[in-house]
Amino acid sequence: MKQIVNIIFSTQFFYSILRISTPIMFASMGALITSRAGVINIGLEGIMLFAALSGVIFSAVTGSAWMGFLGAVATGVLIAILMSYVALILKSHITLTGIAINMFASGSTVFILYLVTGDKGISSSLASKVMPTVALPLIGKIPVVGEILSGHNILTYLSFLAVLFTYILLNKTVIGLRIRAVGENEQAALSVGAKPVKYQFIAMLISGVLAGMGGAYMSMGYVSWFSRDMVAGRGFIALAAQQLGQGTTLGTMCATFVFGMADALANNLQALQMPSEFVQSIPYLTTIIGLVVFSIAKQRKELKRIRENNQKAV
Amino acid sequence: MKKMNKIVALIMLVALTLGAAGCGAKQEEKKDGLKVVLLITSNLGDKGFYDSANDGMKLIEKELGAEVKTIEMGQDPSKYEPYFRDVAEQDWDYIIVGSSPAVEIAETLIPEYPDKKFIMFDTEVDWSKGDFSNLYCVQYKQNEGSFLAGAVAAIMTTEGKNANPEKVIGCIGGGDLPIINDFMIGYIRGAQYVEPDIKVAVAYAGTFVDSTKGKELALSQMNQQNVDICFQIASQTGIGVLDAAKEKGLYAIGVDGDQAAAFKDSDPGMAEVIVTSMMKRVDQSLLRAVKMAEEGSLTWGKTEVIGLKELGVGIIYGENFERELSEEKQNMIKDIEQQIIDGKIQVDSALGMDTAEFEVIRNEVAP
Repeated sequence: MKQIVNIIFSTQFFYSILRISTPIMFASMGALITSRAGVINIGLEGIMLFAALSGVIFSAVTGSAWMGFLGAVATGVLIAILMSYVALILKSHITLTGIAINMFASGSTVFILYLVTGDKGISSSLASKVMPTVALPLIGKIPVVGEILSGHNILTYLSFLAVLFTYILLNKTVIGLRIRAVGENEQAALSVGAKPVKYQFIAMLISGVLAGMGGAYMSMGYVSWFSRDMVAGRGFIALAAQQLGQGTTLGTMCATFVFGMADALANNLQALQMPSEFVQSIPYLTTIIGLVVFSIAKQRKELKRIRENNQKAV
Repeated sequence: MKKMNKIVALIMLVALTLGAAGCGAKQEEKKDGLKVVLLITSNLGDKGFYDSANDGMKLIEKELGAEVKTIEMGQDPSKYEPYFRDVAEQDWDYIIVGSSPAVEIAETLIPEYPDKKFIMFDTEVDWSKGDFSNLYCVQYKQNEGSFLAGAVAAIMTTEGKNANPEKVIGCIGGGDLPIINDFMIGYIRGAQYVEPDIKVAVAYAGTFVDSTKGKELALSQMNQQNVDICFQIASQTGIGVLDAAKEKGLYAIGVDGDQAAAFKDSDPGMAEVIVTSMMKRVDQSLLRAVKMAEEGSLTWGKTEVIGLKELGVGIIYGENFERELSEEKQNMIKDIEQQIIDGKIQVDSALGMDTAEFEVIRNEVAP
């Protein structure tokens, strides 16, 4: 027990939570915006995978990490456009489209990797670049807090800005209002002149940008290469985080940190003599427990509301 | 909008046609010589195990003048049977299959083709299930090679330039599986042979593809448990372990192939921290098997387990090894290798051991 406490209350533990949460944070913000627009972007996983690969390729070709990053984001947008075109304009089912994008990404990234490097597993033969890490001025000097917050990859800080951006977009802008209106009730939105497809398309594009950044972090920050299927389910965890967050920006951010913490805990608890199968299942158990708790809470609230309404009626 | 639909349809059509054209790769001309085919239950590009099998095919091509072909069956076992049948019905002299995911399909199909010769590696069939007189299985004593890796780790944790005073070494496996545990037990015993009171931190990633998981686990071992050298037994996941060692300025031991050489050009910083790699010499074992089969000295219908003696496993004595270890210690490792070959050191094996038994050993050495 003492060992667990020692591990949890170390700065390295909190530092690793931020590092682990970064890619999920980008994707969960993407998931949040699309879900508020009434489309569920299952394809986040695939978008991230494509972006991770193109970040590596672009940065190796141009010799600049930032160009690689832009390449990754552009790729994210491109895949999001493809997905939106198929799902929103040609009216295929959005979930099936997302699944197709994920499978397409898993196979074709390996194919592209093979064409570029002659290797099917890992891009290590490409001299790709890594996004810089940032030592925060002032905050970095504070003991403990500085150690946790400073020295991360620049994209980790960008993921916080992404949260801020999402919050402002959804709550303070006209586009955000329309996106939410479209998601709440398509017909009503249409009746006041907000075209649902247009705003869903915009939401998908933004989620493409965000997932693209998440993908770039995977291959140009977290590690310095692309490897087959390296996103490893983070796109789906992001969807779960968005569900847990009940559609709010703050809630989604907190849920993402909960997942990041569960993952960090799973990595560190291997030090104790616990069955590895149990430890490995901690992040997934957290997801299930979280969803159950939130659903129950939501149901109670709903029941309470109905009861109060009934009483008023009486 | 309609026009756009047409354009997209056209683009898709062109893409599909090009894709299909790419599939019809050039057919090689048939020769009358030896023909050997390799079926793998994954894809190439792992910088280790399966790539090594493919290298073996190149050796067979070069040294025996054979016509060779490698087929990547992917990771979906339901697709294996058609590949298997196609190949069995063609005129290959030897059909090499690896590894364990193909066992079931091999058990049902091999008896159906009694006039074909099959070689399986890193796994074996249940010999009691039928007539397998046309099959030879080769397995590897990964415990022997890992014993040497453990001995190197024990030396590095005490004498390495960047090592901390604690005698703790680490290893990260892809999963809690008998073969992975066989690596680990060798590693633990080898380390204990050099430093009897050494501690070994063990972690399992539960995945062989997620490099970031490997990195997180290794960082956790290095930060929380004072591990200064970590042995990765986790394929792609393990590349993250190497990256963690680079980031912390500590050491790592690679697996399956010479990983220091693999990263030398693209990431010299990472290559530098890989003191050595423990290799399963799949390439050598396949060449050996085909050679012996051609000479008629291969025993069909049984499993052969090969170790250091038969060059089935081994560690790399590369420039990193020579730079990091003193000459005396280098000789010590080579001497241990000779003693294992001569049978003076018997290395415990986790194969056939159940998980609970191995857990006891793991807990004994846990830091």
